[in-house]
Amino acid sequence: MRVEFFLLMAALLFTIGCVGVLVRRNAIVILMCIELMLNAVNLTFAAFAHENQSMAGHVFVFFVMTVAAAEAAVGLAIVIALFRRRRTTDVEDASLMRW
Amino acid sequence: MYLLLGLIGVVAVFALVRTFLPARTVPAGAALGAVAVALLAYDHQELASLEFWSGLIGFVAIMSALLVVIHPNPMVSVLFLILNLFCIALFFLILNAQFLAVIQVIIYAGAIMVLFVFVVMLLNLKAEEGLRLGGGPQRSGAVVLGVAFAALMFYAIRNRGAAPYFEPESFDSGFGTARGIGRLLFTRYQFAFEAASILLIAAMIGAVVLAKRKLR
Repeated sequence: MRVEFFLLMAALLFTIGCVGVLVRRNAIVILMCIELMLNAVNLTFAAFAHENQSMAGHVFVFFVMTVAAAEAAVGLAIVIALFRRRRTTDVEDASLMRW
Repeated sequence: MYLLLGLIGVVAVFALVRTFLPARTVPAGAALGAVAVALLAYDHQELASLEFWSGLIGFVAIMSALLVVIHPNPMVSVLFLILNLFCIALFFLILNAQFLAVIQVIIYAGAIMVLFVFVVMLLNLKAEEGLRLGGGPQRSGAVVLGVAFAALMFYAIRNRGAAPYFEPESFDSGFGTARGIGRLLFTRYQFAFEAASILLIAAMIGAVVLAKRKLR
């Protein structure tokens, strides 16, 4: 299996996730799109690890998963705090710290 | 290759018929099912090839990712994200990363997505109205930058140098196993491992503090 296939797949998934972050209003869906992007990067790491026969890429996927778990926990806690205060999860309504 | 494209085409035609001609769903489904069976009978050897399965998994992964972004109901998005994570786990298996595939299912599809499902259910969200598509200059700028970035990625993937040569006889049979990852993790990446544990504790405390009703 050629590694380009996996690189292309990862690039497509990353793009879809990126568009989702830019386009959606719901903060939870935005967090999910970030997970999508992180997964695309993980796929790239695994593809290059396979090509180079070096397991360092797998270790990095491991760390990305750790960071993703931490990010999901904190992000969802922020969403819950926001919902409690404003009764919404729309990012357009949470614009206090925007320019 | 033809079998994969044919099956994807059959599914696409069925989805189109179901969306735009709901009354014709049953006869169209029967006809397209017959086409699919004929395709399988004509080219069944391809079922055994890795290319077929990776193409199929890739198709499902892209479609589920698109549905995560497109679907207005957050609950449906979560479920399709889980499907997408399973597809990535299968890719990991194809890429000889067994341990990663397992922890992908356990940690991502298990632990992290349960958190998402839990929050979506807790907040009882309704479907959101409309996407955040920016206005004139923003949209055209996004198109220009997107095309430029796509060209850059295409260039990078095309000209990334030859693959390093390695002999199949020297293939490390421990590649991708828990033992191999553990050995690297506790020797070369020891410091990063400890830092990750501090990160997790910080995130845990942060989540508790943020979600708490009253701090005292």
